[in-house]
This record gives sequence, C-alpha cells and structure tokens, in this order.
Amino acid sequence: MSATEDQLKALMLNGLAGDADAHAALLRALVPLLRSFFSRRLHDLNEDTEDLVQEVLIAVHTRRATFDVKRPFTAWLFAIARYRLVDHLRRRRAIPVTENLDEILVAEGFENALSARMDLDTLLAGLTAKQARAIRDTHIAGYSIAEAAEAAGLGESDVKVSVHRGLKALAAKIRGVRR
Amino acid sequence: MKMPTEELIQSLARDVPAVPPHATGRRLASGLLAGGAVVALCVVAGLGIRPDLRQAATGVSFWMKWTYAAWLGTAAFLATTRLARPTSQSFGSVWPIAMPVLLLALVGTGELAHTPASEWPALFLGKNWTRCLVMLLLLSLPMSAGVIWSFRRFAPTRPRAAGAAASLTAGSWAAAIYCLHCPEISAVFVLTWYSLALALVAAAGALWGPRLLRW
Repeated sequence: MSATEDQLKALMLNGLAGDADAHAALLRALVPLLRSFFSRRLHDLNEDTEDLVQEVLIAVHTRRATFDVKRPFTAWLFAIARYRLVDHLRRRRAIPVTENLDEILVAEGFENALSARMDLDTLLAGLTAKQARAIRDTHIAGYSIAEAAEAAGLGESDVKVSVHRGLKALAAKIRGVRR
Repeated sequence: MKMPTEELIQSLARDVPAVPPHATGRRLASGLLAGGAVVALCVVAGLGIRPDLRQAATGVSFWMKWTYAAWLGTAAFLATTRLARPTSQSFGSVWPIAMPVLLLALVGTGELAHTPASEWPALFLGKNWTRCLVMLLLLSLPMSAGVIWSFRRFAPTRPRAAGAAASLTAGSWAAAIYCLHCPEISAVFVLTWYSLALALVAAAGALWGPRLLRW
C-alpha cells in the first residue's frame, strides 16, 4: 500500500521539527515510490534505479530545508526525482526526459489531495451503472462472480461480460488520460 | 561498493536537526550579509564614503538611488528564494522587478523635461560613468560569492533562472552599498548605468547558473 500525500507531508513536517523517527519513516515510505518512478522511466537501465533512489533520499535529507511547508510534499519530491533523472541521463548521454513535472505528477497519481478512492470513483463514473457495480463488487468488495450476480439479480455470464467490458473501457480511459 | 538502502536511511536518520521556518530565506540572507560585509569594507576603506554624505542623505537623489537598488534587491531576493526550491515554477512575475525600473524611467522623463536639451548628455554620462559601471560589476563579485555559498544547501531545478535571480539580488545589494560612495545624482544616470550593470550581472548569472548551482 503506498502512502498518500497527507501521510508523507505529515512525516516531513515532523521530521523538519526534529523528529528523527518520522524522518526515517518518511525516507522508508519513499523507497517504493521512487523505485517505481525510476524503473518505469529507465527502461533498459534498470541497474541504475537503486543508485537514483539513494541519490534522491540523500537529497531529500540534505536539502530538506528547501521544502515549502505551504506546498504539497509530492510536488517537491518529484521535482527532485525528475532533476536527478535528467542529470543521470545526461551523464549517460541517453535520451533526455521530455515529461515536465506536471505530467509526472499526473502520471504518478498525485494531482490533488489524491486518494486512490477518489481516482477510482472518477474513473468508474464514466462507465454504465451495471459495469461500475460489477467491477466494484468483484474487484473491490471482493465478491465472487456468483455472489455478485445474485446480489445484482443478474446472470453470472452477464456479470462476467460487464466486468470484462468495463475493465476494457477503464483501460482505454486511463490511456487517454495519460495520453 | 553500494550501501544497502535501509542502511543509508538509518545513517541519514541519525542526523535530523530541526529546521527553522523560512530556512531558505535566512540562509540566503546570511550569504548576502557575508558578501555585504566585504563590499562595505571595499567601499568604506577602499573607495571612500562620499565626503558630502551627511548632506546628500537629506536630499532626494541619494534616497532615490538607494531605493531603486534596494527595491530591485528585495524583488530579486524573493524570486531567488522561490527558485532555490525544487519546483516547476518559472521565474515568476517580472512585475516586482520591472516596477522600480518603470518608476525611475518616469522620474527620469520628468528630469529630462526640466532640463535644456543641451545638458542632457551631462545627465546621462554624469561625472564618470565608466568608473561607476566597472565598480558595480566588481562589487557584485564578493556579493555573488556569498549568494553562491548559500546555494550549497539549496536545490534549484531551474539553474538558469536561479542564477539570474541570485546574481541580480547580489548586484542590487552591492549597488545599494555602493551608493555610500557614488556621487552621481541624476535619475537618468542611475536608470542607464545602474540598470545596465545589473542586467550584465544577471546575464552572467544566467550563463553560469547551470555550472555553479548544480547539485
């Protein structure tokens, strides 16, 4: 489970107040975020991912005074991560990063107060009521196809088809959102 | 050999001092104060304070010149503290920096209107414009050194803009101290030569920013 903006920011603020445990917890929470950020963008250079993760952790630590408490933590974090990535690729003479920070923030799913539930609700809102319910029941609430069918008063194959079509539509929508 | 990430985190978490609010602004200010001490020493001990300072300090032209430099210095300072942080923000609005220039241009226009055209060159060139220009450029160096020192703990992600803003801050506050020496009085002189010197300093900062401010 990945941490939310609010959790990360709370840890950061406590760390800035001198709480070493909060600071360590923050750095630990950032590791999976940064690993996925870099490994998705480095493609064939995966062995460099851990170096970059560590570079960002060090920057988060040594330059933590530059965090503006009035602004979101994740925007600050990914600006550092992007800067490190650009620098790394330049040293490697690889393809430059073309994404700007806003695109990164959207792609990393941290646009606003960003909870996973909010994203999901927005996405499901675009489906038919039947598809949305079928996906909610089987993929989020964790019911089996048979249970979901009984609860909705539909046939099992009808639920299966709704889930299938709904997921296909969702995938298309996410690709559309991320261009 | 690479340290395991968990070990790195533990070693980093051993040193977590509290960070005071506005740490970025404070650090930049200490860099400016350190540079400013050197500049003040150069002006007071080297160039000498203008002999008529006591009298000039009661006049308008001295304070006009000082306000121009200090206003630019303050606007550039605020832009610098923004650009010292890692964000996607651009240089920001240019108005806080353009405003004093426009106001001084207004004063300068009035000055020209009240002066016969035959004396305009004297207003523009003052007593010694080359000396003033060179001094402003030279004095901005120790100030810039102080600012670059403060950037060692900053994280600029737009080094060109950060370099320009940082040098403009340094140049403007160096000019504000240089006012203690500078005997020039006309608004058009200040508008022309102070602005030119500061533009050159800012351009140099934009040029060197990516090299000096990288981290």
